Amino acid sequence: MNELKKKLLSSFDNVEINIPEDNRMIVITKKESVLSILSYLKKMGYNHFALESCNDWIDDNEFELIYILSAYLEKDEQYQDKGKRNIILKTRISREKAKFITIIDIFENAEPYEREIHEMFGIYFEGHPRLTPLLLERDYDIPPFRKDFDTNKYVENTFGKIPSIKERKKEKNERT
Amino acid sequence: MDRNQISKWLKNPGKMANKYSFHVVYFCTGCGIIEIPPSITTRWDAERFGIIPVATPRQANLFLITGYVSTKTLKPIIRTYEQMPDPKFTVAFGSCPINGGMYYDSYNTITSLDKYIPVDGYIAGCMPRPEAIFIGITHLWKLIDMDKADGYKRYREDYVHYRANQEQLFGELDWPPLFSEENIK
Amino acid sequence: MRELELYFGPQHLGMVGNFSITLKVEGDRIVKADANPGYLHRGFEKLMEQRTWMQNFPLVCRINVVEPDHMELIYSMAVEKLAGIEVPERGKYIRSIFCEMARVASHLFGLWAYANMLGFDTVAHWAMYHRDILLDMFEELTGARVYHIYVRPGGVRRDFPDGFIDRLVKTLHKIGGKVPDYNATFFENRLFQKRAEGIGVVTREEAIRMGAVGHTLKATGMKYDIRKIEPYAAYDQVDFDIPTRTGGDAYSRLLTIRDDMIESVHMIFKLIDKMPNKGEVYTKTPNPFKWKIPAGEAYVRCESSRGELGLYIVSDGGDKPYRAHFNTPSYNHGLTVLEKALEGESISDVGNIMISLYVVPPEIDR
Repeated sequence: MNELKKKLLSSFDNVEINIPEDNRMIVITKKESVLSILSYLKKMGYNHFALESCNDWIDDNEFELIYILSAYLEKDEQYQDKGKRNIILKTRISREKAKFITIIDIFENAEPYEREIHEMFGIYFEGHPRLTPLLLERDYDIPPFRKDFDTNKYVENTFGKIPSIKERKKEKNERT
Repeated sequence: MDRNQISKWLKNPGKMANKYSFHVVYFCTGCGIIEIPPSITTRWDAERFGIIPVATPRQANLFLITGYVSTKTLKPIIRTYEQMPDPKFTVAFGSCPINGGMYYDSYNTITSLDKYIPVDGYIAGCMPRPEAIFIGITHLWKLIDMDKADGYKRYREDYVHYRANQEQLFGELDWPPLFSEENIK
Repeated sequence: MRELELYFGPQHLGMVGNFSITLKVEGDRIVKADANPGYLHRGFEKLMEQRTWMQNFPLVCRINVVEPDHMELIYSMAVEKLAGIEVPERGKYIRSIFCEMARVASHLFGLWAYANMLGFDTVAHWAMYHRDILLDMFEELTGARVYHIYVRPGGVRRDFPDGFIDRLVKTLHKIGGKVPDYNATFFENRLFQKRAEGIGVVTREEAIRMGAVGHTLKATGMKYDIRKIEPYAAYDQVDFDIPTRTGGDAYSRLLTIRDDMIESVHMIFKLIDKMPNKGEVYTKTPNPFKWKIPAGEAYVRCESSRGELGLYIVSDGGDKPYRAHFNTPSYNHGLTVLEKALEGESISDVGNIMISLYVVPPEIDR
């Protein structure tokens, strides 16, 4: 792990690395160098794209995008050390105008992850071929996974205001 | 057969034939689908009660709604229910269709199924065991004998109110109303 | 020829689960397939932020309906890593035995679904019967057939009752003794080979590019299994083999599933021999009403019966999680790999390919 840390620190600037335990490395960087770091890591052999996630830090007024990489086996029987490691890459973007660039050119299976983040958090990815809704059926005022979306109030206003059949019949009888 | 059965068969053969041959629509709506395959295979055989799954809703008369209902699933449920011919019965599993269950604060699941399609009975359990499903079916037989399982008649009489509830949830609907003013009554 | 648009929708005899695919066909051949998930979406990750750490266990169970035990295991592992809790020796062995039993039950369910789809009803009924007598063992140990809530942070909830191990060994011998009949009726049947060979081919380069894990990758020859790469629970104390095939089609995937099931049964016998006879099964955790976990983040992974399962969890020092994101294996298989594997196949093979890729719709929607 330490050689990888030295290589990354020497090839890129404004990169911060810490190693919390044996097989996990957290790399914090600015948003301009995300694409170059990802292609560098893919050339070093980390070719399994595991997860793309997003955190909503509402107090700092920022979103935090997270990319997690791992490595497949090169030869069939060799359980080398690279396969145990997970590299977590983090970067921050602003919350007011949430925009970022897509990484489909480097990792092809990032497409549904970015569709889901777009509809749940409201971040726009430039260059993505289809940013249509994946899981949700209707539009919401605030994207549902943000911290200022109140689920109890939404349930009361939408599902709670629909009357039952008995109440509708009573209302119609009272009117006529 | 004892005398009670023979007299029931002679008085109302349509009702008895309906009871003892439920055809279930093959639609896996929610969590509870995990206990349906054990019910229809050899250990807890459902065919001795007359229950068998069929492919299309046009040939079915029992609709099992197995668990919670999300808003995206509610549209196919309503369309499937309207395609089934009369007389038809609906049974819901668990406590999620009654009041939302453990997903009471979720933005995507509905809180009460009875406002959109008529439900004849509920079976308790999360998920109900195959024995509980069979006890529920025998209760449904008793309700049919007493003429109380009239969900389809209620749908026909109060169709205006059911349609108003569906439109309040979804906005505009893609399919035309099933009953017009002359067909009711 | 003219192009038609068909809906292989949620109410369909060939669909197991609540999932829909929009197909563009020319005659009988598929030109383009679009997966359409979302019928089972409940917003788990938002609901988990509003319940305390211990209150989340009944929720986490219900993400994967067919095999809920690995979901409890991975959430317990994540909480243990954030809070710094150790699991005692006997607890680790019981966790491994429990997860292997769940793996066998899940593979039998998948065999029911696949054999039912192709029309081999005899084998489907046998598989579901054997799964039922294994669920009796689960009911004796935990009290419920499907949703167990047995694994907790610090170990497992309670120890084995008296005589449980003898009954478990007898049940497993009953299942294992029927394997020659399974082979003769289904796996060496010429009709099954003609129906499944060359269908839904996923080569190794395509699998690596599209992020496939689990049996889709093992059927191309790579021995990628988290139980060997990063061992958890008691998997580093037994030696076992990981079966693979080359071929990459539906036939290889089904044979890999059968070999995996037989290997799991053998592994349970080895674990029972090596287990320490006495000991604690869990370490005590603080009062669940007032438990606050220090701030931090963690990424843990384990091997469920469908592939590599991962969980990314963030805590901000309070009594509720700040963010939890599950990385389920069916997400890649059901959305990226399925759309590629269906191009050029005929309409009658859609259910065949979908079940051999081992897609479970609740895992995609969460």
